[in-house]
Amino acid sequence: MWMTATPEPAVELKGIVKRFPGVVANRDVCLKVQRGHVHAVVGENGAGKSTLMKILYGMQRPDEGEIRINGAPVTFRSPSDAIAAGIGMVHQHFMLADNFTVLENVILGSEPRQAGTVIDFSAARKRIREISDAYGLGVNPDSLVESLGVGDRQRVEILKVLYRGAKILILDEPTAVLVPQEVEELFASLRGLVREGHTVLFISHKLDEVLSVADEITVIRRGTTVETVNPGQTTARRLAELMVGSELPVPELRESTVTDVVALAVEGLTVRTPEGRPIVDDVSFEIRKGEVLGIAGVEGNGQAELVEAIMGIRPAAGTIRLSDTDITGWTTRRRRVSGVGHIPEDRHRHGLLLEAPLWENRILGHQTEKPNAKGPWIDRSGARKDTARIVDEYDVRTPGIDVHASALSGGNQQKLIVGREMSGDPVVLIASHPTRGVDVGAQAAIWDHLRAARARGLAVLLISADLDELIGMSDTLKVICGGRIVRAVDPHNVTPEELGSAMTGAGGEA
Amino acid sequence: MISRFNVRSAALTLVAPVLAIVLAVGITTVVLLVSGDEPLETFGYMVDYGFQPRTMVLTLNLATTYYFSALAVAIGFRMNLFNIGVDGQYRLAALIAAAVGGAVTLPAPLHVTLTVLVAVLVGACWAGLAGLLKATRGVSEVISTIMLNVIATGLGAWLLHTDRLAVAVSGSNNIGTKPIGPSGQVPGLHLIAGTEVKVYGFVVVAALAGIGFHFMLNSTRFGFDLRATGRSESAAVASGVNVKKMIVGTMVLSGAVAGLVGMPQLLGASYSYSLDFPTGLGFTGIAIALLGRNNPLGIAFGALLWSFLTNSASILDVHQISKEIVIIMQGVIVLSVVVAYELVRRYRKSAEQRRVGQELAATAEPVKG
Amino acid sequence: MRRDQFLRLAAVVLAGALATSACGGAENTDSAKGDPSQPAKPQGAKIGLAYDIGGRGDQSFNDAAARGLDQAKTEFGATANELEASPGETEAQKEERLRLLATGGFNPVIAVGFAYSKPVAKVAQEFPNVKFALVDDEAAKGPNISNLLFAEHEGSFLVGAAAALKSKKNSIGFVGGVQVPLIAKFEAGFAAGAKHIKPDIKIQTKYLTQPPDFSGFNDPAKGKTAAEGMFDGGADVVYQAAGGSGGGVFTAAKAANAFAIGVDSDQALTADASVKDVIITSMLKKVDVAVYTFLKGFASNSVTAGSTIYDLKVGGVDYSVTGGKVDDIKAQLDELKQKIISGEIKVPDKTTG
Repeated sequence: MWMTATPEPAVELKGIVKRFPGVVANRDVCLKVQRGHVHAVVGENGAGKSTLMKILYGMQRPDEGEIRINGAPVTFRSPSDAIAAGIGMVHQHFMLADNFTVLENVILGSEPRQAGTVIDFSAARKRIREISDAYGLGVNPDSLVESLGVGDRQRVEILKVLYRGAKILILDEPTAVLVPQEVEELFASLRGLVREGHTVLFISHKLDEVLSVADEITVIRRGTTVETVNPGQTTARRLAELMVGSELPVPELRESTVTDVVALAVEGLTVRTPEGRPIVDDVSFEIRKGEVLGIAGVEGNGQAELVEAIMGIRPAAGTIRLSDTDITGWTTRRRRVSGVGHIPEDRHRHGLLLEAPLWENRILGHQTEKPNAKGPWIDRSGARKDTARIVDEYDVRTPGIDVHASALSGGNQQKLIVGREMSGDPVVLIASHPTRGVDVGAQAAIWDHLRAARARGLAVLLISADLDELIGMSDTLKVICGGRIVRAVDPHNVTPEELGSAMTGAGGEA
Repeated sequence: MISRFNVRSAALTLVAPVLAIVLAVGITTVVLLVSGDEPLETFGYMVDYGFQPRTMVLTLNLATTYYFSALAVAIGFRMNLFNIGVDGQYRLAALIAAAVGGAVTLPAPLHVTLTVLVAVLVGACWAGLAGLLKATRGVSEVISTIMLNVIATGLGAWLLHTDRLAVAVSGSNNIGTKPIGPSGQVPGLHLIAGTEVKVYGFVVVAALAGIGFHFMLNSTRFGFDLRATGRSESAAVASGVNVKKMIVGTMVLSGAVAGLVGMPQLLGASYSYSLDFPTGLGFTGIAIALLGRNNPLGIAFGALLWSFLTNSASILDVHQISKEIVIIMQGVIVLSVVVAYELVRRYRKSAEQRRVGQELAATAEPVKG
Repeated sequence: MRRDQFLRLAAVVLAGALATSACGGAENTDSAKGDPSQPAKPQGAKIGLAYDIGGRGDQSFNDAAARGLDQAKTEFGATANELEASPGETEAQKEERLRLLATGGFNPVIAVGFAYSKPVAKVAQEFPNVKFALVDDEAAKGPNISNLLFAEHEGSFLVGAAAALKSKKNSIGFVGGVQVPLIAKFEAGFAAGAKHIKPDIKIQTKYLTQPPDFSGFNDPAKGKTAAEGMFDGGADVVYQAAGGSGGGVFTAAKAANAFAIGVDSDQALTADASVKDVIITSMLKKVDVAVYTFLKGFASNSVTAGSTIYDLKVGGVDYSVTGGKVDDIKAQLDELKQKIISGEIKVPDKTTG
């Protein structure tokens, strides 16, 4: 392994600046990637990671700065220049033809010719097998792509890049589409690659993964490189703080605000599939004013159906009482008007009209309420004014309230939804994954708002896959499994590990 | 900033139809060259003829009819409901309204109101059937409205018989409902100078219907729920919209407007529903609604354009130029407009995301620096 | 070229408008009658012809009108412009078609089909110097309108009688294209003729479509299905009054080894060669004769306004003998024909019940 001994880095970026009209996407970016390393680049969404990688792959040209590959300065006019220099890119969204075989996909665009005309399939097949075996990719060249799983497809993409002779691989958010098992397999493949002298640039914002696979980590924030750290000498928390440039928020509730007044009472709630199998099975609980009730559980154990039943979206047996009123037979709208707010699990499907402006999204779910409506009429100016208030109070980053919701980042969309559901003083808030897919800044803001509303007497049903959030933000914690509430856990005396095993049914009684 | 957004988006909205028309003219030119006709001359005939006062009135009159039809379709489209049944709805509505209007004599405003009301009710009920079927049994409105069209045809034929609603006209092989008396007729308007021909009085009603449509969509809770359901049914359900009620309500409204389709012709020209009452207007409405992007102003332009083209078929025929050219043009316009709108929509979406990103980054810069 | 065209058109329109306003008064009938200011010129007349839906080539009565026109064109050296209606169009569009012909200097103008009734009535008033002919309608009256009508029921009576005489199973059928009063006239005459021969004969009746669906005049598949049903139901002679759908009736008759009766033209001559032998006779509706006669009258400046009824008496309707399949009963049929002409037999023109 004499290669690792050479001081010459495989990739070196010096003082890269990239301006778009009216905005600087990258400033003073400096990055050194040692040959034979997995080098991670982390940063929040929109920090400039993608632009940087596009520059390195020849899709964008920098306005200033220098790119050196193996010590030699280069200028890329297009991705083909980058490929010629031994750089390959695996995109987040696969670019494979479904009805072609692996072999056909791999050679597409660089077909080996026999005597310049006929495609030499057997030679290609042989090389693909060689590459697959050398790096432990386990790809069969004759499989049809449409028959492959996501992890296999990703390996085909990697193989495609290697087939074209890449020595330096850029992987853009490769784990975003994978399940944990597949992530492990991917990391094994990456280790195989670096062992053979390849260099991997790994773009991600999942800090745990980065820490487990990378040899070096560079943090990028607001378009510039902040620091390069060694994973052995840092923590996920420290990385996250570097990413946001400030201290991380902690999910915690300082003093109890729980009162004696029951705001929401659910009794014997049962939801069945069309076949009659119960998905939510005889669930009962009470949430008092000022209390946050957390529901922990592995996803798909009835949480979504429970929420829909409480919101009146899905028919259910049992009774639901809001304060002292039986609302079991009420429509969704009547429940909402009576003070039940809802932060839906899937904001794109259930929380927003993506192709409608923000101020119309402010009205959604509150069509009949002030300030959105006056009698049967929509109060345009009232809604617009209140949207501006939410944008301001909840720090929704947007140039205006007339842009479509689809133009905002996920975190800003979520802040808009939270702001909307907190408006009009709800009595109960059903919050499903309120901070999922949200950057840390927005996460802190959402927690702050939840705490403040709780202090004012809001009752919250919190469903989350983030165990830290569940433990830190709940006054009471219950575990759901197979549609049943299987046990209660004291959030003050439980670790995420204990809670995790409780969710899977393992572990003793608390 | 907001106004800049709006100016851009207005400009983009115009790009698609203009592109489509340019493409249509281009393809038609090729077709004309192949068939051996002089394209410039042909377009010249169409334009010259189209801008004569008399033709302008004819265009406006036909466009009035088209407008109601497209509006009826657009109401459904806005909620992703495909009301293919406008054709059957207006035919049945016009027939029954004509029979009622012909059977009574009332003071003028009352007589007209009664006839129109009957038409609106019949149209609403007929479309409401499809709405009910979808809401209660989950039957696709596409299928049910097509079937209701066929049933309307059969029912209409049965009703339009001298034993029932029709009377024979002496000396004619035509039969129709008893003509509506002068008190039930809607007088025409002298809107265009240079011709004796009058514009249907219903043009005013059409304009009001367009304004009402815009108002309903944008200023009422019903309209908001309708648009929300059209954009994302799942989000609408979560927001508390009763989608089943909306389906029935929207179909009823669509059918009510469909009931008006036959009124300009019935109350402004023929005064009777006879064997040769115009058919197929409901399908033309679908094309025009697409052309006008379900927007009341867009539909108005679409209806005028369509009507202009339909009318210009006459002058082409006179000059021995195959009048099917017009159908080719209409077809190409619809096809290319659909494609162009989709392209513009995508472009607009990515442009907006880019713009938002840039503006946010630009404002973030001083904070950091 | 374009400019010239425009100016010409504009001038014509202007002239038309002036004429309209000048004759707008109630007393326009006198000036229009006879009209000495514009003697008809037989040589080189410009004939305008407006067809109903289908136009030239429909193998039905539009085509019959076209034959009359063609004959007149060669005989009188006239030129013609033929326009055609579109499906589902409005009266205003029909009106505009006639108006364009009139403003374009076409005279006379012939409108084929009852749907032109109101448009002709209106446009004829605007152009008192233009002669109009209207086929199949006499509701539109005017000093310059000639209504060309046919006694379809009389002709149908004869073929009804022929069907009854030829039927061995004592069962016959009638296929109508679209259920409109005009076709009901065919049915009424046919049934009366058949019952005249055999009062107990079984008659099956089927209309292919109901208005406003006029596809029944142009859908051979529907005609075939309907006729097949009748042959299966025991009929052995079927009369079709279904325009372009008639071909299907003939095909079905051929397959069932039965007989069929044609309509409008002598279909033993015009139908597809493979089915000619099943057509025992046709009810001739001589639209061509009517159109030709009108044009001839125009050429000799002797056009009369008002209705001309083309009935059995003047040979406007008749039955055909091509193929010799009714030679054996010709004497009987001719006797019936004479009785109708003399008025001894009154043929109903409406179906009962």
